[in-house]
Amino acid sequence: MLRSLPLLLLLAGCQAAPGHSEATAQQEEPVDVTLAAAASLRRVMPELASAWSADRPGVRVQVSYGSSGTLRQQVEAGAPIDAVLFAAAAPVDRLVADGHVHAASQRVVATNDLVLIAPADSTEAWTFETLTQLPATEKLAIGEPATVPAGRYAKQALEGLGSWDALKDRTVFGGDVAMVLAYAKRGEVAAAVVYGTEVVPGVRVLDRADWDGAPGPVVSVGTTTEGEQQAHAVAFLDFVAGAEGQAILKKHGFGAP
Amino acid sequence: MSFDTFPIQLSLQVATIAILLVGPAGTALAWLQAKRSYPGRGLVDGLILLPLVLPPSVIGYFLIVLLGRRGLLGEALDASLGLRLVFTPTAAVIASMVVALPLLVKTAQPSLEAVPRAMEDVGRSLGLGEWGVFVRVTLPVAWKGIVAGLVLAFARAVGEFGATLMFAGNIPGRTNTMPLEIFAAYQAGEDGRALVYVLVLTGLSMLVVLAAGRLAPRGFGS
Repeated sequence: MLRSLPLLLLLAGCQAAPGHSEATAQQEEPVDVTLAAAASLRRVMPELASAWSADRPGVRVQVSYGSSGTLRQQVEAGAPIDAVLFAAAAPVDRLVADGHVHAASQRVVATNDLVLIAPADSTEAWTFETLTQLPATEKLAIGEPATVPAGRYAKQALEGLGSWDALKDRTVFGGDVAMVLAYAKRGEVAAAVVYGTEVVPGVRVLDRADWDGAPGPVVSVGTTTEGEQQAHAVAFLDFVAGAEGQAILKKHGFGAP
Repeated sequence: MSFDTFPIQLSLQVATIAILLVGPAGTALAWLQAKRSYPGRGLVDGLILLPLVLPPSVIGYFLIVLLGRRGLLGEALDASLGLRLVFTPTAAVIASMVVALPLLVKTAQPSLEAVPRAMEDVGRSLGLGEWGVFVRVTLPVAWKGIVAGLVLAFARAVGEFGATLMFAGNIPGRTNTMPLEIFAAYQAGEDGRALVYVLVLTGLSMLVVLAAGRLAPRGFGS
């Protein structure tokens, strides 16, 4: 115990010392705004974040990506998140209902579309309608419907067409939409359902879910009630919903809300 | 609460098949490492141990590179036999075999080494061939260690998660073993559903550790 006394004193000194220079410390300490964003936003977020923070010196944006369902769980478990940007309204609704997200802050900032893709070198021409003819040895990849909105939309679309039950045992679930895309890119599956914004070289679009009653993916956002950077979080979401943010989203293939 | 016994059945099936396949090969390898010296023996020892120390994600990566649809071997298997392993229960068996092998070999090997060479030589002098020596002399002495190895390997196979997720994927009703189901249920916030499988796996592992402890001559608890 005695041996650790000098260390304790040293620690106490360290804590007390900055008191004198609090004002300067605040100017120098960068402020971290932490966002939880759906995996489907991983390509657009860096641009949104850097455009927004460009004229805010000392403000840094940290983004945690994942499936919206997983991120919702993390917010509920008390993860230090200032705002959420999810690939569906439902997980934000649930956070609002549980008091983790300000109801007034929730809004839709973009829309997306659901596409059926295949590896680029695939010669097959499946559509959502004809997917049930997929040979028994072939696989379809979608997101895990319980946690990945892209998977939930895909399941809804296939249920709407009455083909879910036939395809269920050939459908492999990815942990987020990026994993589903990777399955198709690597050619491990014959087809996959992702967002239109996911399409990259290496995969080919076979069909779009654009019929009447097809699910309409949205990007839903909100600020958290326990976040420490409320003002910044509100400002960031306003920016995303504003003209400049919308232009960036449009550039990346997202639709207007 | 919706409770599905399929993941339990599948996990037990996958692990049983994996052990049936890896058992004879692993025992042979353990015998080879215990009884013979040959060039490159150290390297083989290292390769056997590798899956024990490598993260499951690395094992999964290797399996995809090797046996994936466009993998080094996978492409040829698909072209020649129409055999597609990725995202099948077979893939789960292969992943389990890879992680189970080192536990089997490393548990069985010391028991085999402990059988005195003089004892085996008596068998040889009485006219037994190498197979006869193994079955009639070595095995009766070393069987406990081999069974302990099989039991531990089975436990590891039942619990395999990372490589299985990457190589066998998560297809409910096809490849969702208990560890995958626990992860999926936890992620979906269905902690109660996860708990059922957690308890089953914990109970099973406890039994296995107790069994291995009784069998192994030294180490492994009791």
